[in-house]
Amino acid sequence: MKRLAVAVVLLATTMVQVTWAPRLTIAGVFPNLALVAVIAITWTGGVRAGMAWACVAGIMLDLTAPGPIGPHAVALMVGAYLTGFWIRNVDPESVLHPMLAVAASSAAYSIILVAADDTLGLPVPPFGVALQLLVAASIYNAVLMPVALLFLRRRQAAPAIRSSSA
Amino acid sequence: MYGRRSQSRSTGLFLILCAAMLLLAMLSEQPWAAGARGVAKSALAPLESAMTQVAANVDRVTAVFGDVSSLRAESQRLKAADEALRRQVVELNAAAKENATLRQALDFERSFGHKMVAAQVVGRGPDGFSRTLQIDRGTSEGVQPGMIVTTGAGLVGRVREAGPHGAIVQTLGDPQSRVNVFLSKSGLQGTVTGGPAALQLDIEHSLGITASSGEWALTSGVGGGYPRGLVVGELASLTHRPSSTTDQALIAWVNDPRATSFVLVITDFVPS
Repeated sequence: MKRLAVAVVLLATTMVQVTWAPRLTIAGVFPNLALVAVIAITWTGGVRAGMAWACVAGIMLDLTAPGPIGPHAVALMVGAYLTGFWIRNVDPESVLHPMLAVAASSAAYSIILVAADDTLGLPVPPFGVALQLLVAASIYNAVLMPVALLFLRRRQAAPAIRSSSA
Repeated sequence: MYGRRSQSRSTGLFLILCAAMLLLAMLSEQPWAAGARGVAKSALAPLESAMTQVAANVDRVTAVFGDVSSLRAESQRLKAADEALRRQVVELNAAAKENATLRQALDFERSFGHKMVAAQVVGRGPDGFSRTLQIDRGTSEGVQPGMIVTTGAGLVGRVREAGPHGAIVQTLGDPQSRVNVFLSKSGLQGTVTGGPAALQLDIEHSLGITASSGEWALTSGVGGGYPRGLVVGELASLTHRPSSTTDQALIAWVNDPRATSFVLVITDFVPS
């Protein structure tokens, strides 16, 4: 049941990302809500859960993007895997570390997407443009991370509060 | 000890999932899988369409609140404004705007002389590296990859992939997009490329002729990728580069992909 709920939330997140989020474009980028959600899941639920949901969210993104099905999933999984290293070595309650983790994951995500296009023989954006988008996306997603974590922690805390009061 | 084992299990899972996704990417890129991929990509189109509809309704509600706040001063002065009526006016305005867009598109179709399919934009690309639009028309309606997409205002881009009931359009704003154009007054030729904020134009130097701001850039038809004469945008700023073979300019695109809701797909032009 919980897995179904997470799947529905990720589907809704992906749909919001490809319909509403482009209205919030700043410096050529808009928030990558799926990436933020996956990193928040990884931060609160562990690296293996994060990678599994990265796979699901990535395939959803691939279904809305041109090109083969798979590159977004790989890019999100790398983000979850990197975050896994981060969690082991820092205070998980910190606000700054998840922001840094999502910024690093955004950078890795962007590099993998460009590399995947290059490998598949698809045209890639010029280096300067790609770098500009990468930096802007990293900052934008990092700013959104505390909100996503707050939402997830509240969702996790709600059943615990209900069961303790019962 | 436990931590190291857990880490190696995570790495194992990561490698397995990565291998599976790379395999999926390679398989889905095969020509024989194009049909299945198109069908899979069309599957999310109805959801996106519904979400876009919800977004439009939210916009209308927001517009209502905006108008309410601005009309409050007026209502104090006139003391006769009615809340429901104002809401209706805003909704009618939104409908009129949509009608005007459709009428413009219809006029364009009549005057342009090409066969076209009208489509609604139901979604946009998931990241900044691919400025794409998803439309609700696909191969069942005659839309094929490579076809040119416009609005009544001018060029939008090209269909990159098409499923049975949906297609993905690569817009001119995509950093990977290239269009050959000429300038309306000077006649100079150049290439428009996409960018994160604006369209960029590299104008080829010609002896004694210089481009100027305010000129219109239209497709030149060079290379056979686009029909000649489609409006791309207006020259917004120009940077002369005497030491280079080209000048650089920024183009104010006639279409804003964030606001575009209807497009026309030219179905009888075959890019060479």
